[in-house]
Amino acid sequence: MTVLKTSLRNFLAHKGRMALSAIAVLLSVAFVCGTLVFTDTMNTTFDKLFAATSSDVTVSAKSASDTGETTSDNGRPPVMPASVVATVRGADGVARAEGTVFSTSVTVVDSQKDNLSPKSGAPTIVGSWNGNDARTMKITSGTAPHGSSQVMVDADTADKHHLKLGDEIDVISAVGTHTARISGIATFTVTNPGAAIFYLDTRTAQETLVGRTGVYTNVNVTAAKGVTDPQLKRNVSAAIGGTYKVQTAKETADANQKDVEGFLNVMKYAMLGFAGVAFLVGIFLIINTFSMLVAQRTREIGLMRAIGSSRKQVNRSVLTEALLLGVTGSILGVGAGVGIAVGLMKLMGQMGMHLSTDDLTVAWTTPVVGLVLGVVVTILAAYLPARRAGKISPMAALRDAGAPADARAGRIRAAVGLLLTAGGGFALYLASAAAKATGGSLWLGLGVVLSLLGFVVVGPLLAGGVVRVLGTVVLRVFGPVGRMAERNALRNPRRTGATGAALMIGLALVACLSVVGSSMVASATDQLDKTVGTDFIIQNDGGQPLVPQAVKAVKDTPGLKRVTEYKSTTADYTTPDGKTLKDTDITAADPTYAIDLRTKTVAGRLKDAYLPNSMSVHDKFAKAHDIHLGSKIKVAFKDGGTAELTVRAITSSDGLIDQGAKYTSIATLARYVPADKMPLDELVFASAKDGQQDTAYKALKSALHDYPQYTVRDQTDYKQALKDQIGQLLNMIYGLLALAIIVAILGVVNTLALSVVERTREIGLMRAIGLSRRQLRRMIRLESVVIALFGALLGLGLGMAWGATAQQLLALEGLKVLEIPWSTIVSVFIGSAFVGLFAALVPAFRAGRMNVLNAIATE
Amino acid sequence: MTSAVTIPRHGGTGGRTAVAARARQVVKAYGSGETRVVALDHVDVDIARGQFTAIMGPSGSGKSTLMHCLAGLDTVSSGQIYLDETEITGLKDKKLTQLRRDRIGFIFQAFNLLPTLNAIENITLPMDIAGRKPDREWMDRVVTTVGLADRLRHRPTQLSGGQQQRVAVARALAARPEIIFGDEPTGNLDSRAGAEVLGFLRRSVDELGQTIVMVTHDPVAASYADRVLYLADGRIVDEMQQPTAEQVLDRMKDFDARGRTS
Repeated sequence: MTVLKTSLRNFLAHKGRMALSAIAVLLSVAFVCGTLVFTDTMNTTFDKLFAATSSDVTVSAKSASDTGETTSDNGRPPVMPASVVATVRGADGVARAEGTVFSTSVTVVDSQKDNLSPKSGAPTIVGSWNGNDARTMKITSGTAPHGSSQVMVDADTADKHHLKLGDEIDVISAVGTHTARISGIATFTVTNPGAAIFYLDTRTAQETLVGRTGVYTNVNVTAAKGVTDPQLKRNVSAAIGGTYKVQTAKETADANQKDVEGFLNVMKYAMLGFAGVAFLVGIFLIINTFSMLVAQRTREIGLMRAIGSSRKQVNRSVLTEALLLGVTGSILGVGAGVGIAVGLMKLMGQMGMHLSTDDLTVAWTTPVVGLVLGVVVTILAAYLPARRAGKISPMAALRDAGAPADARAGRIRAAVGLLLTAGGGFALYLASAAAKATGGSLWLGLGVVLSLLGFVVVGPLLAGGVVRVLGTVVLRVFGPVGRMAERNALRNPRRTGATGAALMIGLALVACLSVVGSSMVASATDQLDKTVGTDFIIQNDGGQPLVPQAVKAVKDTPGLKRVTEYKSTTADYTTPDGKTLKDTDITAADPTYAIDLRTKTVAGRLKDAYLPNSMSVHDKFAKAHDIHLGSKIKVAFKDGGTAELTVRAITSSDGLIDQGAKYTSIATLARYVPADKMPLDELVFASAKDGQQDTAYKALKSALHDYPQYTVRDQTDYKQALKDQIGQLLNMIYGLLALAIIVAILGVVNTLALSVVERTREIGLMRAIGLSRRQLRRMIRLESVVIALFGALLGLGLGMAWGATAQQLLALEGLKVLEIPWSTIVSVFIGSAFVGLFAALVPAFRAGRMNVLNAIATE
Repeated sequence: MTSAVTIPRHGGTGGRTAVAARARQVVKAYGSGETRVVALDHVDVDIARGQFTAIMGPSGSGKSTLMHCLAGLDTVSSGQIYLDETEITGLKDKKLTQLRRDRIGFIFQAFNLLPTLNAIENITLPMDIAGRKPDREWMDRVVTTVGLADRLRHRPTQLSGGQQQRVAVARALAARPEIIFGDEPTGNLDSRAGAEVLGFLRRSVDELGQTIVMVTHDPVAASYADRVLYLADGRIVDEMQQPTAEQVLDRMKDFDARGRTS
C-alpha cells in the first residue's frame, strides 16, 4: 500500500515531467485508435450504402464481376438480352423485375471539356435511371431524364463542378460521344462515398453505353411479400438457367464490402505500421524520462533503501508510476483517437467523400487495444530504469548526487552494439549480394532490424565522437557558450544517445525511402533514355483504356511519322512442358512497338514476334516452361478462340518497363478475337516526323482536347510525371512518419526540460557570474541542436545504407541505378537543426526565467 | 553618467573614491500585511576599497540578504545601492548581469564550479562569457598564487573541497573585479583547507589590492578580515576593526546573551 502511495505521490509531484511522456503515449495510442475507428466507420458507411443500394436479387451477365462493376477490356459492359427480364418477371415470388444498363468505362466532361470524374479514384458511373436507385436518390431539382437529350447528375458532383440545369455535358464511351443537357439533379439519401453518377433514360443508356437497344447489364429483382432473398434467388436461377449470374442483396453487398475491405485493410495496416514506429520512438522517450527521474531521485531512493525498502519494492514503485502514466496517456489517447477519426472523415469530405459522423463506429475492441498497447509499451519501456532504480545502494543516500559511470557496462554495451551492428551490416551485405529477391528481402529485413538495434545500443558510445565532431564544425562558432553546450550534450551520453536514437528511427526511414524513391526515378529515367524510341505516350492515368474515337484523333494528327497501339488481355497458355497457365497476360501491339520500346532479346529478333501467329516470351518464362525459339504455345484468348503461336523471340526480363511482357501483334489477336470483343488500347505511342516534334506535340494536345481523361506526354513530361508520382507517394509516407518525428521532438524537449531542472544550480551559478539570459538560452538551444543533429546523422547514415541495400536487391527487378537524393538528405539534416531549435524553445525560455537566487539555493 | 559596464579595472583605490560599494537606507521585505518579514531594515553601509570586510550575524539576521543585494543578485524594496558611482538598484536584468560579469566576483559556499569544465576553464569562464581574452600575465600570477598550476586540467570532481574553493577564488580574481563577494566560502571546508583559502583571500587584499566582502558565521574566518560588521534583525548593530578570533567570539557570545535576555 505504501508503495502505491509513494508512487502516486511521485507521479503527481512530477506530473509536469510526466506530461511529455504522457503525450507520447497519447499520440501513439490516438493514432492506433483513430485508424481503427476511421476504418470501422468507413466499413459501416459502405455497409449501409451497399445494403441500401442492392436490390433483393440482381441478375447480371456471367462475366460481370461479383461487385456489379461493369467494366471490360473492350470498353462495353457485358450484357444480356431483354428477354431475360421477361423470363425473370415470370419466375415465382418475383414482385418486380427491372432491366438496367450501367457502365463504369466512361468519362463525362462538361461543355468546357473539363473532366467531371472524381479525382479520388472513386468511379464514374453512367446508367439508366431505375426504380432501385430511386430508393436511395431523391430528385431535388428538375426532372428525371427523358429522351436522348437529357441527363441527370448527382448533387455532389453538380456542386463540385458548379453544374446547373440546362448545362451541356458529354458522355464519352467506347461506343462514341453522346451530348446531353442536365434535366435534373438527384441527391443521395445515403452517404455517397464519392462516385460521380449520371443517369440517362434506359434507351439512351443502351445506345450510349452498349451501342444497341434491347440489352441490359443487370436485372434488379424485387421479392414478393413473404419471399426471402435466397428463395427468390433459387426461383430466378431456375427460371433463367445457369447462363447468368444471380446474386442476393447480401451477396452483392458482401462482394462489394470485400472489395472495399481489401482497400481499407491495406490502409489500416499501413497506418498501424506508422503508429508502430511512433510507439517505438515513444519507448525511447519513456525510457529517458524514467531514467532521468530515477537519477534525480537517487538520494531519495537510497534513503528508502536505507530505512528498509527492498529492491523489489523500489522496482515496483517505479513500475507503478509507469502504469499510472500508461493508463493516463492511453485513456486520453483513446479519446483523441476518436477525434482523429472525425478529423480524417472531415478531410475525406474535402476530398469529395462525404462521411457522416452518425456512422462513427467505435468497436469495443478499439479502446481495449489502445489501452493495452499503451500500458504494456509504457511498462516495458520503464522496466530498465526501474531495474536500475532497484539497484541503487542505500549508500546513495549519503553520497552527493551523480553516480560514477559504470565502465564495465560501457564495455558490454560496446561489444553488444558492435556485434549487432556488424551482424546487421553482414545481413545487409548478403541482401545486396543476393541472387534472388525473395531470399534477399529476408536478409534486408534482418539487416535493417539488427543494424537499427546495433545503432540504438551503440548510440551512447557514438555520441561522444559524433558530438565532438559536430561541436568542432557547428558549435565552435558560438565560443564558450557553444563549448558548454557541447559539454552538456556529452555529459550523459546515454541520455543523448537515447534522445538522438528516437529521432534517428524516423529519419532513417525517411532517408531509406528517399534513396529507394529517387533510385526508382533514376532507373526508370535511365531506361526510358536507353530503350524508348517513341516521342509521345498517350494514356489515362487511372488505367482506363483509350476509346476508339480518341485513338482516331491521334491517328489523324498531322506531323506524325507513326502511331503504335498497345493492348493487353489475358489468355490460358498451354506450354511445351505440358502445363496450362490460366489467365496469363499477353500484350498485343503494332509491329512498330519493337521500335518504340527497344527491348533487348536473348534469342531471336523482336520484330519477328509480330509476324502472323507469332509471339515472344521473356527469358525467365522460357526457362521455367522449356520454351525455345520455334516452340509452339497454345494460347486460348479471353473472349476469343485458341491459337497456336510460334515463339520467335525471347526477351530479356531485365528492366523496369514492360517487365515480363509477352508480345504478339494486334493482327494476330484480331484473328482469334471478334471485333466487338477486342480490348481497347491501353496505351498509344506516337512519333513525330523528323524536326516536327514541337508542332506535333501541340497538334496532339489539341487533338485530344475533347478527351481530357487522356494525357499526352513527351519523354520529358513522362519522366516528370513519374517523378511526381513517386514524389507524391513519398510525401504521403513522410507525412505519416511525421508522427514518429513529432514524438521524437517531444523526446528532445523532454530531455532538455529535465536536464534544465537537473542543472538548476549550475544555471544559477552561471547566471550569478554573468551569463546573460540570451547566452543561457542559446546554450540550451545549441545543446538541443547538437542532439538533433546527432540523431539526424545516425539516422540518415543508417537510412542511406538501408536504401542502397534495397536498391542493390531491387536491381534484380530492374532498379539498376542507385541515386542518393543529396538535396533531400542535406535538407533533412539542416531541417533537424531547426527541429532542435524548436524543441529547445520552451526549456530555454524556462531556464532563462529561472530566479538566480532560488537556483543557487536549490539543494 | 557612469555606465554600469566599464572596462574592468585593477582592484585598489587607484585614485578613485575610497568606497567600493555603499548601501543607503536599504530595506528588503518579504510578503505584505501581517506576514510581512523585514530582512533588511534601513541599512546604511560603506564597503571600503582595498579592504577585507566580514559580515557576521546569527541565522536570519539578514547577512546573506545584504550581500545578495550588494552584489546585484537580489532586488531591494527601497533604498539605494551603489557600486563605485553606479547605482545598481533599479537596473534591468541585462545590465545587472553585465555588471556581475564585468565588475563583481563571486565565491559561494558550495557548488562553485561547473562540473563539465576543467579548473582553468572554470577560472576563465566569466571572461569567456564576456568574450574577452584573459590577461596572461595576470592569470599566471593568480594561478601561481592560488597554487593550482599543476591541477589546471583537472575536472572539479577530481579536486578536493579546498582545491575546488581555491579554483573558485581564482575565478573570482581572474577577471579583476572591483569587488568580490564570498558567501561562507569556507563553510564546507575543514579548518586546514579553510585556513588556506582564507589566507589566500587575505593575500589577495594585501598584495593585489582586491576588495572583498565575505559573509560568515565563523569567528576564525572573520578574524582574517580588516573589519567586521555585525547584523541582527536586519540592522547593523556593531562593527569591529582589525579583529581577532577571540574578540569576535566574545562579541558573538555577548549578542547571544543579549538576545536571550531581551
